[in-house]
Amino acid sequence: MQTKKITSKMVIPVVTAVIAVLFIYLGITKYGFWHELRGPLPGFFPTIIGFALLALSFLAFLGGRKEEDTKYPIENWYPALGVIGIMLATLVIGMLPSLAIFVILWLKVFEKYNWKTTFVGLVIIMAIVIGAFVMWLGVPFPKGLIYNLIAY
Amino acid sequence: MENLQMLFMGFSVVLTLENVLVTMLGAVLGLIVGAMPGIGSLAGVALLLPLTYKFNPTTAIIMLGSLYYANMYGGSFSAILLNIPGDSPAVMTALDGYPMATKRNRPGQALFTANMSSFIGGLIGMLILTFMGPLLADLGLKFGPAEMTALLLVAMTSIGWLVGESPTKGVVLTMVGILLASMGMDTLTGSPRYDFGNMYLLGGIPFTPFVIGAVGFSQVLKLMEERNKKVEAHLNQKLTIRGSLLTLHDFRRLVPPAIRSGFMGTFVGVLPGAGATTGAFLGYAAQKAFKSEEPLGSGAIEGIASCEAANNAAAAGSFAPLLALGIPGSGTGAVLLGGLMMWGLNPGPLLFSTNPDFAWGLIASLFLANLLTLIIALGIIPFLVKILTVPVKMLIPIITVVCVVGGYSTSNSMYGVIIMFLSGLFGYILDRNGYGVAPMLLAFVLAPLLESNMRKAFIISHGSMGIFFEKPIAAFLIIVLFAIILTPVIKFVLRKAGVLKK
Repeated sequence: MQTKKITSKMVIPVVTAVIAVLFIYLGITKYGFWHELRGPLPGFFPTIIGFALLALSFLAFLGGRKEEDTKYPIENWYPALGVIGIMLATLVIGMLPSLAIFVILWLKVFEKYNWKTTFVGLVIIMAIVIGAFVMWLGVPFPKGLIYNLIAY
Repeated sequence: MENLQMLFMGFSVVLTLENVLVTMLGAVLGLIVGAMPGIGSLAGVALLLPLTYKFNPTTAIIMLGSLYYANMYGGSFSAILLNIPGDSPAVMTALDGYPMATKRNRPGQALFTANMSSFIGGLIGMLILTFMGPLLADLGLKFGPAEMTALLLVAMTSIGWLVGESPTKGVVLTMVGILLASMGMDTLTGSPRYDFGNMYLLGGIPFTPFVIGAVGFSQVLKLMEERNKKVEAHLNQKLTIRGSLLTLHDFRRLVPPAIRSGFMGTFVGVLPGAGATTGAFLGYAAQKAFKSEEPLGSGAIEGIASCEAANNAAAAGSFAPLLALGIPGSGTGAVLLGGLMMWGLNPGPLLFSTNPDFAWGLIASLFLANLLTLIIALGIIPFLVKILTVPVKMLIPIITVVCVVGGYSTSNSMYGVIIMFLSGLFGYILDRNGYGVAPMLLAFVLAPLLESNMRKAFIISHGSMGIFFEKPIAAFLIIVLFAIILTPVIKFVLRKAGVLKK
């Protein structure tokens, strides 16, 4: 017997169905659906939408079974790894140096640009960040553990 | 006449030095972001949303309006010079724009035609908006909770149905968007729900990081596939403003299709889900019924004029339901609506009477943005090739960094970055599987309004569904809703039964 391969087009409707069941369950048991005097309770609306989502997820699952599988090229995830790196480095050295290191590594190491182009790219990006977000919007970016240890 | 008086009052709000400068800034940024292939108006407006935080609400809204509008202009540039549409409405522009730029060797004139037609179409759309917006608002005042519920359901499901490759997938994401929006506080009682014991989720999912991630960061992940593509403009001449001017004969060819498409595009823009892309397609299709000096598709001025005028008119027309009923016609409109709500504005029937400064100020700013964008768009013609050929390799780290700092700046905490990151991954996976995120964004923005109206309707009717069928408007809208929802179901059943071809 031939088994059908599980594809992401089948997994997504399953995930949305699980979300629907969770919202229905919490809506009915925790937040309440209907009160005789007060009418609809906080769980009312999400529960109705949950039922609609459950039914549609079933249809999407049936449709997804016939569709071809989707490919996720590994290099498409590199920017996501970069953001994880920025978030972790921010805890230690702060956000602005983390962003600068990300840009240098990306342009010089990953894209293999020469130092001049890397520097120009870095200047443009940091000008946007510092000009628009630090100077203009006054966003207090985190300074990280090392700065806090030195400053306090 | 009263509308014109109010429009002049709107101009008195807009015509301050700060607002004019902000409109110009919005126009420049909107043009550049809109022009860059692969970013598009939805991601463009989302990425630039944090820049409005510093302004007072009126100025912020004016900048958002100008950003959105200039984005519509920008999409045609890469379509004409590179044969790569910057946005989906510009797909039709490429059909005649690129041949005119390359085969007919008139790139500047093709750009000028697109800009001029956009201006004419937009102007027509704005004039109609000036009169139709308040009329729609008057009609909206007659809507009670039942009518509003039905209208919102129709708007949300029709966009889910029309946008993307499959109606079912669109409506699934609409429902997911509603559920995500219901996390945090209950809209009527203020009690916490679906917070899963997380302190941050008590305030719900923040709009800006969510939208930056879902459309901006997911776009970065998609752009990775294009990072090695070389973008080159195959032009035989240098672009100059003087060399781009149109002759009187060109103008005579441009104006009639631009006016026709301007009217048609505006009415297409008013319909939820139709938007600028449909406007451009219909404008071009309608032009086939009229005489063109050169065959369409071979670089005809009429071809560029018809679709460019229609898509800008549709963009202007979509402001009518957005302002008067609080219903955006597209994903970009939803981001704009979210931005307006962020500033404490609740677009809807009461907006024109309770916040005339905002409503008319925004409409007046569109007129100003239309004019300024035309001037700037003509002024940047000599630099366009440089802007358009910025390598994707360079854009990827720039957009990634903007996503991170944009996510952070909303809440000044890493929570915003985490939401941006997760929604980016979510948006990317959905997109790869044919689920366009626009319906989800729209549902996310409109869900609180839908919930409060639905619950009010049920409170009034003591739980009876009859309230949705007793009044003619509500009953009509519910029938439309059922037609939208049941169509894919019936099609599926008919296909299974072998009545319809697979």
